[in-house]
Amino acid sequence: MNGSDAPMPPVLVSPLQRLRAASNRLTTRSAFPVLLAGLAGLVALFLAVPVVYIFLRAVGADGEAWQRLLQARLWKLLGNTLLLMLAVTGGALVTGASMAWLTERSDLPGRKFFRWMFALPLAIPAYIGGIVHLALLRPRGGMLPRLLENLLGQPVYTPSPLGFWGAAFILILFTFPYVYLLSGAAFRSQHASLEEAARMLGYRPLRTFFSVTLPAMRPGLLAGALLVALDILAEYGTVALLRYETFSSAIFVQLSGRYDRSAAAVLSGVLVGLAVIILWAELRSQGRARFTQMESSWRPAPTIRLVKWRIPALLVAGGVAFTSLLVPVGVLTTWSIQAVLDPETLRSVLHSGSMGFSNFAWNSLWTSFLAALLAITLSVPVALFSVRHPSRISRFIARVCQVGYAIPGVVIALSLVLLVNRALPFLYATPFIVVIAYVLRHVPQAVRASEAALNQVSPTLEEAARVSGRTPVQAFVQVSFPLILPGLLAGGALVFLTSLKELPATLLLRPAGFDTLAVRVWVWASDGFYVQAAPAALFLVLISAVPLSFLLRREQIFK
Amino acid sequence: MSLPRLASLLFILVLLLTACTPASPTTPEIPTTAALSEPTDVPTDVAATESVDQSISGKLVIYSGRSEPLIQPVIDAFKAEYPEVEVLLKAGSNSEIANALIEEQANTQADLFITTELFTVQSLAQQGIFQPYRSTAADQLPPEFVDPNNNWIGLTLRARVIMYNTDLVALEDLPTSIFDLTDPKWKGKIAAAGSTNGSMQAQIAAMRQLLGEEKTEAWLQGLLANEVTFFGGHTDVRKAVGAGEFALGLVNHYYYHLQLDEGSKVGVIYPDQGEGQLGLITNATAVAVVKGAQNVSAAQAFVDFLVSEQGQKLFAEQNYEYPLLPGVSLRDGVQPLESFRLAEVNVAEAALDSDATFDLMEKLGLP
Repeated sequence: MNGSDAPMPPVLVSPLQRLRAASNRLTTRSAFPVLLAGLAGLVALFLAVPVVYIFLRAVGADGEAWQRLLQARLWKLLGNTLLLMLAVTGGALVTGASMAWLTERSDLPGRKFFRWMFALPLAIPAYIGGIVHLALLRPRGGMLPRLLENLLGQPVYTPSPLGFWGAAFILILFTFPYVYLLSGAAFRSQHASLEEAARMLGYRPLRTFFSVTLPAMRPGLLAGALLVALDILAEYGTVALLRYETFSSAIFVQLSGRYDRSAAAVLSGVLVGLAVIILWAELRSQGRARFTQMESSWRPAPTIRLVKWRIPALLVAGGVAFTSLLVPVGVLTTWSIQAVLDPETLRSVLHSGSMGFSNFAWNSLWTSFLAALLAITLSVPVALFSVRHPSRISRFIARVCQVGYAIPGVVIALSLVLLVNRALPFLYATPFIVVIAYVLRHVPQAVRASEAALNQVSPTLEEAARVSGRTPVQAFVQVSFPLILPGLLAGGALVFLTSLKELPATLLLRPAGFDTLAVRVWVWASDGFYVQAAPAALFLVLISAVPLSFLLRREQIFK
Repeated sequence: MSLPRLASLLFILVLLLTACTPASPTTPEIPTTAALSEPTDVPTDVAATESVDQSISGKLVIYSGRSEPLIQPVIDAFKAEYPEVEVLLKAGSNSEIANALIEEQANTQADLFITTELFTVQSLAQQGIFQPYRSTAADQLPPEFVDPNNNWIGLTLRARVIMYNTDLVALEDLPTSIFDLTDPKWKGKIAAAGSTNGSMQAQIAAMRQLLGEEKTEAWLQGLLANEVTFFGGHTDVRKAVGAGEFALGLVNHYYYHLQLDEGSKVGVIYPDQGEGQLGLITNATAVAVVKGAQNVSAAQAFVDFLVSEQGQKLFAEQNYEYPLLPGVSLRDGVQPLESFRLAEVNVAEAALDSDATFDLMEKLGLP
């Protein structure tokens, strides 16, 4: 608190002064918080509009559309979506938690290296990973089956990346880092005495792990799992590519099918309903996660020796890093070199669609950057209101602002097309509608980052500034803002990263001639032109790695 | 950690690079609506301009149901002729773009619509989405491919064929009819385009008209029972058949030629030529000027270019299609349509029924 004691006059200590200061605070509380509440409420309203609209459209759709969907599609889609969600969440939990255990609790060689290997796949959009693995493994036509056939002289069975198992495999590869990061932090902060107590009670190491270590990690694992589940509900590119039909891809098909939006609205309504349930669970688990508190006598749990398991563990860790990071980056690099070396391909890469490569790279950068800036700006009043003035209303507003997690890109696109074209026609078919979609979808990340940052700044600092004569706005700008800035930047980096990777909303909302890197990759790859798609994909991955590495270095395990 | 430092260095480099090369003639911040200020002057006669034409300029927004690789060469050739026109392309499936056009009726964005079958363009014309324009070349085209109200004009024809991998199928086993595709011996060996594809939609619409709902439904159910793999587009289908991933593919005829060009061992069957059989199903591609277009003169110039000898040649040469303008020769190797018995479809009537086609696909859960 040394920053604030200089301007404070010693007389303040007197009880009378303290009372006056308190009453001073009380009187201003009526003006500033109301303003804050108003702003936060407006933000929440803005974020909630698309969801409410889609729900109204779904409920208002004629009975015939519901009937038709209930008969043929709804149950199958529900089953498909839930099955994939469960499989990927389970797979990501097992992979993420075990890799985290290996790098944080065991004596695995090269742990520092592996930490980066397990986190960096977050820079690769799952659909790009899917494209690479599909080109490699596709039955009969893929690079690997062909190579094997040439070597062995006869067709060899290789697992197919298509369908349910393929989609689950790819999505686990590119979502497990969420769980890895959350559980890595949890493993790292675990108290040594927990396990010691269990061992003293005569528990064997394995039993200790399952009855003490793992339960203590439950909040972190649960939060990770629910984030993965929400991600899978929203996933479009990968499932469309690998031909596994979920709600998201079915809505996309509906949008490009009949000239009637009610079926798409019905499917969207059900999907959002499903996602809201998971989001609700996730928000609750967030609340519980705060119970894991550290005592002052904290010391790290001891490293466990792998002994004879060292080599197998190294192989498994290497295998995960290989398939989720090295293979995609390696293949994309090879293709990019091929594309650059072949003059005709290079020409089509540089001048495709209506514009050139630098144009869509620039589009990706500025839309994502603007979205990050807006998301952060919107998140500040919400976070301030909920952290500094906790009440039922502020909690409600903060929860509403999390709703973006539950609206997949396809649904945002659908509701924006319908809403903006009617209410704000001048915004329609401009790049700004794409930016709005990014903001709507990614504001929750910014709100969480801002809340976390504010939680770490004691309100007494602001109060001190207030007592020394600053207005509430001045107090925030001069005292709290510089302190929470790194946290805000982290939120911005996260929004920037996820906006760069966004595909379905961009595909549906972009005006003619407006391409982003993600769109270009998708357009080329969905026509089977992988070599053309590679430079854009590689570039997208490299740019994404920048905000990602900034974010990772804030994490405890990367310090 | 040198990795993140390297990455951030790269990032800064990239930022510098993109800042130095201001990408395109326009800054991306300016939305396409900037074309609003463009005067929509009365179309001048643009027929038979020999060299570069600078009188037509501004932005031309094209919505295309033809996929990008199939329209880009034509756009490039057009730009060589009209360097002052900036073409902005949005490519997608026919019905996706039709949806956008309907949605945007009060807030028009597109100048031109290019489609891969006539049903969509017919049904949009009935909804008043287009404005009439009669190209000078319209009189030379077969009359059934020019809208009586001049709302749209046909460009090329494509035939629905079966392509096969010559390594995987023996000559005596070849199917001769699209109904052979439901034979269990092909189970799991067929690829086709799915329900979002315009050519597939048109095929189903045509079959509904010629054979009735029941037989079409039975055929589709047969395909589903045969575990046909439905891709988003035909490029995937041709590549998969070329690679030997599938024995047969239901495609438009030029996909066979494109795959043959890549050196694959593929063959083609023009199905249903026997007595009493359906005949070969063909689709016409078409173009229409959108009502409320902001750059009517450029849109009309583009239509004229597409039906001119030069434009038609591009379609025939680059993409092996059947040009509608008489006198433009087919590319070597393309079998003339006159040698086949064609299925006769009343497009206007089928367009009225397009909802029923979507209902059928949805009912069966066609991917």
